[in-house]
Amino acid sequence: MPSIRTKCFQEIDITDSSLFHFPCGLPGFEQERYFVFLNRPDSHPLMFMQSAHTPELCFVLLPVFTVAPRYRLALDEEALTGLQLPLTAQPKIGQDVLCAVIVCAQGNGEPPTVNLLAPVVVNLHDRIGLQVIQTQSGYSHRHPLVAQEELVPCS
Amino acid sequence: MLVMRRRAGESLLVGENIEIQVLQVSGARVKLGINAPASVVIVRREVQITQNENRTAARSVNPGAIESLLNALPALAAPTPEPEKCQDFDESHNLGLS
Repeated sequence: MPSIRTKCFQEIDITDSSLFHFPCGLPGFEQERYFVFLNRPDSHPLMFMQSAHTPELCFVLLPVFTVAPRYRLALDEEALTGLQLPLTAQPKIGQDVLCAVIVCAQGNGEPPTVNLLAPVVVNLHDRIGLQVIQTQSGYSHRHPLVAQEELVPCS
Repeated sequence: MLVMRRRAGESLLVGENIEIQVLQVSGARVKLGINAPASVVIVRREVQITQNENRTAARSVNPGAIESLLNALPALAAPTPEPEKCQDFDESHNLGLS
């Protein structure tokens, strides 16, 4: 069984069925065509999207509904075709596709954000992925991960 | 910002070598044609935003950042019952398929 080195974990064994093909790569990483999704109980609900070819490249993602429970995915014809999905209906998140957003952990005191403008969408049946830029959506590419409002204690 | 009014079929020049032509206007959409040397990179603005955001996000991944993320997300990270097979790392590669 082939194995790959990972950025956040040890070397792991992979099978063909754990590889996801991104025919266009990701914006900024166009050459990265294969990723593996990893999750661990101790880092729930974070997901790790590890490049199969570049051990140093790993994205941290969150399922979109964890961040935005009413998130609306509107895939145009080009995106549906790219994901090999039927053009007749929008895919159901969690059923037809995995929809997750890339977390920017920032650091240096900056609060973490997620990119709601451009979610990673994966056709679960054919294991094809695409980062879809939802131009008309009005979603932010730097949506604060933690609500800005302070919690008010009950008294 | 320089503002210019153009109709379909008209064009404008940026420098010596770049021509941007308005091909079609329909409703809220404008179709543009661009003639430029191959060395000039042309991307949609939102693609560039996503490229930059992806690069920043990739750089931000390290063990310390992941730990502070988990600490910052007590609500999201609240322990939920994990399916039995998620306990085994090797079985948890296929998110969504498992």
